[in-house]
Amino acid sequence: MKWTGDLAHFPYPFKDSTYRYSNNSIPMKQPFCIEVTPSYKKEMLLKRKLLSDHPERCYQSLPHSITGQWEIVELLIDHLISQYPQHFSVEKENNSWIFFNKILDEKVEFIFGDENSLSCEPLFFISHHVQEDLIYMRQRDDDLYLDAGQLCFPANWSLAFNIGMKFKNIHHPIPGFKEEGLDQRILQFLMRLEAGTPWERLNWSLMAGDRLDTSLETFDQWGKLRKHVTRENAGELVHIRVEVQKLFRLPRTNSILFSIHTHLLSLEQLSTNREWLQQFYEILSELHAHIVEYKGISHYKASLMHYLEEQLERVKAT
Amino acid sequence: MKNKAVFINGKRKYIFCGDEQGLKLLSNVLEKGKEEGLTYDRYLLSDLKMTLLQDFLKSQKMGTFVYLAIPFLVLQQFRKALEDIGYLEEDVQYIGYGERKIPVFCCRCHEINMSNQEQNRLFCNRCSLELEVSDHYSAMHNAFLGYVAKL
Repeated sequence: MKWTGDLAHFPYPFKDSTYRYSNNSIPMKQPFCIEVTPSYKKEMLLKRKLLSDHPERCYQSLPHSITGQWEIVELLIDHLISQYPQHFSVEKENNSWIFFNKILDEKVEFIFGDENSLSCEPLFFISHHVQEDLIYMRQRDDDLYLDAGQLCFPANWSLAFNIGMKFKNIHHPIPGFKEEGLDQRILQFLMRLEAGTPWERLNWSLMAGDRLDTSLETFDQWGKLRKHVTRENAGELVHIRVEVQKLFRLPRTNSILFSIHTHLLSLEQLSTNREWLQQFYEILSELHAHIVEYKGISHYKASLMHYLEEQLERVKAT
Repeated sequence: MKNKAVFINGKRKYIFCGDEQGLKLLSNVLEKGKEEGLTYDRYLLSDLKMTLLQDFLKSQKMGTFVYLAIPFLVLQQFRKALEDIGYLEEDVQYIGYGERKIPVFCCRCHEINMSNQEQNRLFCNRCSLELEVSDHYSAMHNAFLGYVAKL
């Protein structure tokens, strides 16, 4: 799903001309865990289809996560109506809530805190109204556990496999993450997260194709495109995939909500910004081999570099 | 799951449990327990059946530490049963011997396949995808993640 908005609003993830794994979280300026973009309707259609067709792949929860799920519902509805009052509203009478999604022309009535008043779990319900993927991490025994999640647009990982895992174990496959002590540092950072002071970070990878649903479960389908990248088609085929990750402490359950909003931009579009093009080329030129491999670039890095060099030459000539 | 028992000090009571071969593997920790004058029971699992052991373990008090030594091939079902009773990972040392199978979670269809320990690749029993066994482990699934072996 290609970026259709103004390029100036794309969450371009780089500040320097080198890239290393780091805790690049920053305090949020606008403390909202959701964003409604021009592709809302299209993405909600896709997300709902995935949730309906592949519930096990896209949704997982442990029984003790229900209280936290209600906290997420409350937070998200609060953010939706505060940030987008023209699109969302809620009527509350004691615990009886009526939620209105005016974009999709929908009305949902439920009793807050009563699971039986919804036809599904609370997290599953609210997932149908936001573009973000939602991950719920519960803090206990001095650790964070993935106790529930809705994940339709993952960057090549499996929620079904990772459910119930501790933070460090989730990140075990990332090369160098443990060796450099980043897993411990980020875990400590997250466990000190305070209610009312949310943080955000950008994460990036490259992919061949423009699918949002790049789950590990379907890697055998979409991963094949990596073999088809050439210097001629790289601009159109290769996309930078940026995840805007937001971190909110949920005070009642002392847990954390990660919301993940994924954006895709073709290299063709990225190259129209001269500064981005130059910086991105420099970053890729010196990117460590283990990061190249983990981010899935190694199959087509040579073609990609040729493409970017051609673009740089074109820009210099103009 | 280990193949050698390590003595853990300071528990209220110890239970050394296994079949005949398994109890031999526990002899070093059993002797250590005796030397220290600790409270313990020795439990022979002669037919590798869970029922009697389950009743015995259910009747134990909090703070009881269990050593369980049995063939790798049946270790997982015992582990599951002990967890259901309420024995957490830190309450038990699981010692295995003999042939070992590795559970492998298929990244495509979530089937858990059993692979020989030395086998790096296998085909999923359910969806036939060729999997490469990784070292990413899920305690919840008790399985290692199998990735797409080739595109």
